[in-house]
Amino acid sequence: MIRNHFKIALRYLFKNKLYSILNIVGLALGIAAFVIITLYVGYERSYDKFEGSDEVFRVYMDYAEGGNFVPGDAQTYNLSGPTLKKEFPEIIEQVRLYRLEKVTFVNGEKIIQQPNGSLADASYFKIFDHPLIEGNLSDFEKPNTIILTKTLAKKLFGKKQVLGKSLEVFDGNGIRLEIVGIINDIAQNTHYKTNFLISYPTMNTWDMGNNAKPNWSGNNFFTYLKVAPGIDKIALRKKIMMSDFEQDPDERHNIEAISDIHLHSDKPFEAETNGSLSRVRFLSAIGFIILILSWLNYVNLATAKSMERSKEVGIRKVAGAQRSQLIVQSLGESLLLNLFAVALAIGLAYVLLPLFNNFVGKELVLGLSNLGIILPYLAFILLGTLVSGLYPAMVISGFSPIRALKGKVVASRGGVNIRKGLIGVQFFATVVLIIGTLVVSQQISFLGEQPLGVDLSQLVALKGELLSNENDSITRQKSVVLESELSQLPFVKGVTQAKTYPGDGYDNLSSNVGITYPDGTSNERLLFYLYGAQPNYFEVLGIDFLAGKTYLRKNPGVHNFDIVINETFARIMGFTDMSEIIGKNVKFWDETWTVTGVFEDYHHFGLKSKIEPMFIGDINWAFGTGLQNVLVKMDATGLSLSVMDKNLDQIQQKWKTIFPQSTLDYTFLDKKFEAQYKEDTKFGAAFQLFTGLAIFIAGLGLFGLTSYTILQRKKEIGIRKVSGASVLQILTLLNRDFLKLVTISFILAAPIAWYVMNQWLQEFAYQTRLNWWVFALAGIAAFLVAIISVSFQAIKAAIANPVKSLRTE
Amino acid sequence: MLLELNNIFKWVNQGGNRVFLLKDLNLEVEEGEFISIMGPSGSGKSTLLNVIGMLDGFQEGEYKFLDESVHAMKEKNRSKLYKEYIGFVFQAYHLIDELTVYENIETPLLYKNIKSAERKALVADMLDRFNIVGKKDLFPAQLSGGQQQLVGIARALVAKPKLILADEPTGNLNSNQGEEIMQLFKELNQEGVTIIQATHSETNAAYGSRTLHLLDGRRDHK
Repeated sequence: MIRNHFKIALRYLFKNKLYSILNIVGLALGIAAFVIITLYVGYERSYDKFEGSDEVFRVYMDYAEGGNFVPGDAQTYNLSGPTLKKEFPEIIEQVRLYRLEKVTFVNGEKIIQQPNGSLADASYFKIFDHPLIEGNLSDFEKPNTIILTKTLAKKLFGKKQVLGKSLEVFDGNGIRLEIVGIINDIAQNTHYKTNFLISYPTMNTWDMGNNAKPNWSGNNFFTYLKVAPGIDKIALRKKIMMSDFEQDPDERHNIEAISDIHLHSDKPFEAETNGSLSRVRFLSAIGFIILILSWLNYVNLATAKSMERSKEVGIRKVAGAQRSQLIVQSLGESLLLNLFAVALAIGLAYVLLPLFNNFVGKELVLGLSNLGIILPYLAFILLGTLVSGLYPAMVISGFSPIRALKGKVVASRGGVNIRKGLIGVQFFATVVLIIGTLVVSQQISFLGEQPLGVDLSQLVALKGELLSNENDSITRQKSVVLESELSQLPFVKGVTQAKTYPGDGYDNLSSNVGITYPDGTSNERLLFYLYGAQPNYFEVLGIDFLAGKTYLRKNPGVHNFDIVINETFARIMGFTDMSEIIGKNVKFWDETWTVTGVFEDYHHFGLKSKIEPMFIGDINWAFGTGLQNVLVKMDATGLSLSVMDKNLDQIQQKWKTIFPQSTLDYTFLDKKFEAQYKEDTKFGAAFQLFTGLAIFIAGLGLFGLTSYTILQRKKEIGIRKVSGASVLQILTLLNRDFLKLVTISFILAAPIAWYVMNQWLQEFAYQTRLNWWVFALAGIAAFLVAIISVSFQAIKAAIANPVKSLRTE
Repeated sequence: MLLELNNIFKWVNQGGNRVFLLKDLNLEVEEGEFISIMGPSGSGKSTLLNVIGMLDGFQEGEYKFLDESVHAMKEKNRSKLYKEYIGFVFQAYHLIDELTVYENIETPLLYKNIKSAERKALVADMLDRFNIVGKKDLFPAQLSGGQQQLVGIARALVAKPKLILADEPTGNLNSNQGEEIMQLFKELNQEGVTIIQATHSETNAAYGSRTLHLLDGRRDHK
């Protein structure tokens, strides 16, 4: 019996190729999209989950802002960890990590610049699940020791034994580190990427200023805690928030579960830009929507198609088949079809995954290893298959044999309504997705068009690292020489130096809380940001002054307490006439500073964030040491790529003559600024892709349903034509029902889409308006999709010779 | 007595009117009979066959099949009964297009839960008997109308029913083919199978042992 059913199912699939292809392709696309999204979401949710990760927390700082505490800094003081551990017996381990963005290692001839390292307490290994595969942990308690990942060790030393070997670090001091351990490479699904660890005591032998001494003033350390299993974590968190070891009413310590960081944390000074929960949720929702759309599609097509099999059902019933047997047969067929679709989907997902990985910059794998992620969803897919197969099965098995054999099976009114409802749901989802896509892309282009208050075009930042021992002041002097050398190049319009620049994020920015305003009032709660730049920085970057002017350059070594502030800051201090603040004094860091100018607000952090109060002061004095970013503004000739290459060559030559032993990196400022929205742009593109898919699937469904409707109304169409109806009138007739459906779906979908997208926009400090035309466009698009998929077949039916369709009756 | 219909009424409501499809119909059929039902289109021939075949119900009257009251039976028992004792032959053959000749004949056996080996033997018997062994792997579309009807009859017979109901079995065939089929029916009848056929043709009706005339759902005794 099963073999008989299987055979007939196969033959049926092959006989009705168009139907089978529509169905299998629709399902496969839906399932493939779902699988890929599931992998992505699973990966995003897998961050920092390891053996014992439930007991690991990160400590962070809350800052008081307007009477409330808000997350202020992902990093803490070097006293935070040890103090908390001492005070709270629930905490059994703590580790401090001082993050090193980039370190240049030298092994003989080999010079390798490596990102993602840390100075770390040895207790790192008691908290994180990265055991040494070689070496002895006790050696890591000594200064000037380092632990490498397998890959980095191989890069530096090849296949040789590396334990006990030493490495030189170029930081200007020629320090050598002994390799005391090797760990396996650390997977990328962690918020804190690590390629090497340098022992914490090394800090004392390096020139790290304040950081090396225990203090409550410099919070530059990531601190992680391990608590005893089974303790009341909420109570501990409360106790930590209530504690006040640093005795500062404007700050408090707080903790968060390590596995929550990637999707929930977006604090200043994070180790990396974290993921976004809302994006993950959006994508999950889209994944489910697409899958459900493709099932609805299947139900529709299968039910419509089942009408053609009424004869077979009649014969089987007459031959003695029971209803349950026919249901089993029908279910079996949908299972078979779904199996094909799943196989095709897995193949598709497998082929498309590398592309998708490339696109989102992840390392998703589809394989046996992560079956755990997929498995519950496979069960879900199976369940969906069963449910979606059940409706057509019930319909088909319910035919009365006499009517079925006479070919007089007409869909019941209820059945037609159900199928219309399904199409309605499909279009509802499609309209929501179209509006979503439009809003996302509108927001992204809105961000691109926003005036930044700064001109980043043709600006390149040169950042190098010296490979020779030089003292700071000589480096500073040389950098000034470089500035003037570069400005003599014909294509260079301006050169300046700065500690950081717009789009550089928090990496090289300082923040401070506590300032006394010119009128003598102090604000101990305001968080503000500051960095150093050459006086001509504003001119080179096109930042305008609203009042006053930039600070003057003073001789090296002479105190320069002149600073400029942004408009936001001046307004916070209570000034509406910007010129009034010029020449006034403010106090912070126990020094008195004079405001020489107010510059127009510019976006330092991109448009996701508000403009924050900000100071800029002289890089030659308090705000910078060593070699900083050299910013070069070039003329428009650089718009041609080949010219740009030549220009960069010349810049490099100048650099090499002044800093012969050094590395050099270029960054184009406009590109880097845009990169802040990279994730949003990708999200937008993913959104578009999946929306396209959803539209395609909905179109397939409508296409299938039309072919069925036309089949049913063939005679009617014939009679109407004989009675004189034009092709256009027939087309209108066939389209009318579906267009009514699309209209209703649109009316229901628009407010929901509006609500959801409004929520999404809240992520941005600067939002595009939700224009009426977005909704109109989505409506028109849905109409077009409907008309095209219906008319595909309707035209054929409308121009067919009526004699034919009437003769068959 | 194979079956017995007493005062059968069957009607549908059209608009406000009750339209009778069968009106006060009585019929007794003995085992081994070959009955032809004649009458113009719409006289109720097919309806009567469907009622006898238990594919269709009726509103009033009683129906006894092998002394069991069909009208009082539940759907499930009824289908058990006709699965066991009745085979159907249709004007339009009604073969399943996606199945081969062999598989088409096998279908009723599948629903009777007969073991594979026995099924093979039974189907082979049928193929032999109708001389279509060579065609067993062909699909219905590859056969002529007469051949298709042979398969239809083979399928009706394979489960060894007591009664064959044939609704215009030669309606779609030319006269030669039609004669062959009728000849076959006659042989089957001689072997003991009870046959009730609906037909338009006097010639075909003549093959039967008696003829029942229908007009507007009642027996026409003229």
